[in-house]
Amino acid sequence: MALLECRGLGKRFGALRAVDAVDLTVEPAEIRAVIGPNGAGKSTLFNLITATLTPTSGSVRFAGEDITGWPVHRVAQRGIARSFQLCHVFPALSVRENVRLAAQAREAGCWRPLGGARVLRRSAEAGDDALERLRLTGVAAARAGTLSHGDQRLLEVAMALAQRPKLLMLDEPTQGLSIEETDRAVDILNGMLEGGGPSLLLVEHDMEVVFELAHTITVLHRGRVIADGPTAAVRGDPEVQRAYLGDAA
Amino acid sequence: MTGFLGFILTQCLNALSQAAILFFIACGLTLIFGIMRIVNFAHGVIFMLGAYVGYTIIAVTGSFVLSLIVAPIVVGAVGMAFERTLLRRLYGRRDGGAYLMVTFGLAVVLSEAIRLVWGPQPLGSGIPDFLRGIVLVLGQPFPLYRVFLIGLGIAAALAVWQFLERTRAGLLIRAVSQNAEMVHALGTDVDLVRTGVFGLGCAMAALGGVLAAPLVTAFLGMGTTTVIDAFVIVIIGGMGSFLGSIVGSLLVAVVQVFGAYYFQDLALALMYALMLAILVARPGGLLGKEE
Amino acid sequence: MRFALTVLLVAGAGALVPLVAPAYALTILIEALIFGLFAMSLDLMVGYGKLYSFGHAAAYGLGAYGCALLLTRLQLPLPAGIALAVLATLLIALPIAWICTRSTGVSFSMLTLAFAQLGYAMLFRFKEITGGSDGIDGIPRPAGPFGITWFQGKLGYFYLVWACLLGSYVLCRAIVRSPFGAVLAGIRENEAKTRALGYNTRGYKMATVVLAYGVGGLAGALYAPFAGFASPELFFWLVSGRVLIMVIVGGAGTLVGPILGGAVFLMLEHELSRVTDVWPLIFGSAFIFFVIFAPEGILGLIVRRRATAGQGTVDGAA
Repeated sequence: MALLECRGLGKRFGALRAVDAVDLTVEPAEIRAVIGPNGAGKSTLFNLITATLTPTSGSVRFAGEDITGWPVHRVAQRGIARSFQLCHVFPALSVRENVRLAAQAREAGCWRPLGGARVLRRSAEAGDDALERLRLTGVAAARAGTLSHGDQRLLEVAMALAQRPKLLMLDEPTQGLSIEETDRAVDILNGMLEGGGPSLLLVEHDMEVVFELAHTITVLHRGRVIADGPTAAVRGDPEVQRAYLGDAA
Repeated sequence: MTGFLGFILTQCLNALSQAAILFFIACGLTLIFGIMRIVNFAHGVIFMLGAYVGYTIIAVTGSFVLSLIVAPIVVGAVGMAFERTLLRRLYGRRDGGAYLMVTFGLAVVLSEAIRLVWGPQPLGSGIPDFLRGIVLVLGQPFPLYRVFLIGLGIAAALAVWQFLERTRAGLLIRAVSQNAEMVHALGTDVDLVRTGVFGLGCAMAALGGVLAAPLVTAFLGMGTTTVIDAFVIVIIGGMGSFLGSIVGSLLVAVVQVFGAYYFQDLALALMYALMLAILVARPGGLLGKEE
Repeated sequence: MRFALTVLLVAGAGALVPLVAPAYALTILIEALIFGLFAMSLDLMVGYGKLYSFGHAAAYGLGAYGCALLLTRLQLPLPAGIALAVLATLLIALPIAWICTRSTGVSFSMLTLAFAQLGYAMLFRFKEITGGSDGIDGIPRPAGPFGITWFQGKLGYFYLVWACLLGSYVLCRAIVRSPFGAVLAGIRENEAKTRALGYNTRGYKMATVVLAYGVGGLAGALYAPFAGFASPELFFWLVSGRVLIMVIVGGAGTLVGPILGGAVFLMLEHELSRVTDVWPLIFGSAFIFFVIFAPEGILGLIVRRRATAGQGTVDGAA
């Protein structure tokens, strides 16, 4: 059974169809990339899946449940974690506090106003763990807002990981990163998924990253899916090549 | 005209004259929001200040007409001074709470200043002589003063509309409402526009105060109910929408006038019920998306 | 451990104060502590949740009138009257919190103001119960269960208020450092992100408002039998204004800042308003000054100095 299943998913803003009848699936342990030119509707698609936006048509099923129209926090609780295109962390809190809060959401008792010492401790441990995997332990005490752009993006990924999701959705995780930082990120992502980690759905513009990581690719254009399949096949598709991959293929 | 129809007509005319006063206040608030994306919490107190200043001008010169002209100018100047010296320092801060706090502080300071200068007693100068009396509207007797209010309200609405649509200044204001940065890049002093609009908004509210005083007398505490009314109006009509302030004023006035008649005791509560209903139906308002 | 010791020390020091202070000062001190408690309750909303309330007087008024009615009509023992008044405030705060948290930003603030105004209007509407503009007079301090009477005198009442203040502070501090408090910090910094992490932020905001009302109600409930009367001014928007100003100037988000700020403010107000009529004007202006130039408030500035010196974060150790 597919982990994530979008059927006929659509979002209209007035006359504009930002996302139009999109079918998309993600299997357990799969890495799927969503690519397409700017304005193709990739971020909107993400927002529909995570319930930041409500679809105007179609449905989303996750782990066997119909989650269409659910509130954001409920979808997150079910096991979908995401990072945002415009980096979203808690700038005034320390890096450690950022991941701890993310990890805390998994704990029963995450809401406790009293007697939550154990919850705090376990969240801190899980958070530190995530920081280590993202090699951010060195900056744990710094305020998140003071981090470099690259480190902030990695922090966001760490937070998403700390939620121990079944599906990790990353919206342009390497945007604005230097070549070195990008390599590091790809390295970390590859390693994370080898150890029986979450499925990964990512939006990416950097084709090298896509080809290095993804098992399958979905290509969006003007809100519609124009190609979908294993990386090699999509890469070799002459139409896609011509329109969007340019010389990188 | 007699009987039920006559009653309805009277109440409608009451609502129209009420709407006129509300319009002055709400229009000012919405203009300020359109330009600065802040809700001027002190707007109600500014309205109150207008009433008190108007009272003094009448007491000193005996001329109602003069108070209509001078009070808005004086209060508008106070507003502009506040914007230039204090409010301006907050531009560029991402914390929306700061604007709220500062205009709240202004409300407190002005409130207290009014109390110090004019004392805690309500002040009334009454309806000016040349506007006293009754006229017949469609056969229905109706106070002249209220007819005057309706007329003035319509004239003002037309004037502001033309100002916004036809004049260069109006165009500038609309442009800044939509895209301040662009206007700034084109070389206009956006700060000046902001100061001007803030002053204009305050002046309009003050005018509303001068006009309202003969009907309700000036008293401390009139500021708070007013700011809530004005807020409800701009929420209904849409923050920053001039047309919306007209529509909202009419709607709220109708609710207030007919509500006061049918539910006397709960007239006050009715206003809040309306606001609650609106915010419950559209909770984000147009402000919730300001994050 | 160190915290517990500090609390004990402060408790002890405070307990000694009325023994050395002159009798007339005791009245002011008690009022100052009550106001400090009231300010701290608002800090929960404003400082920790960034929920700017313009109507917190409602909490105070509810507690005061609730206690007044319970003591005058039902002759309950004083502690029971206070406890039940707090409970009543908490219950009434539930629908208020539910409605207010439906909105954010200015709409939220306007709603809180509207509720306070509504409360004010209701007092006049139901004047048979509330005494209308005269309020409720002659509130007694009935002896407690088992004939306990130590709180009936002024000194005893001081200790009652002092105990309530300390107890509330310890409780609130524990809450803001708990998992709940961590989520609140997230909501304050970035609500959308907090929701995306899986937290039902509305629920947390509601709980914060209700808690703030409860503690504010406690302050009001302590005030009524102390002053001996409850009047509609308690709901007036300037009361909400004063306490909001105190939170900001004292230092939002520190709990201690507003307590100290509130207490000091009240004492200053008492001294200065004898001398001059412009005191409210002064503190209103001071408020504007702080919002523009020192938004962290007095204590916030001190905390920040210490934090940058120790290179830690503002929120302290994780």
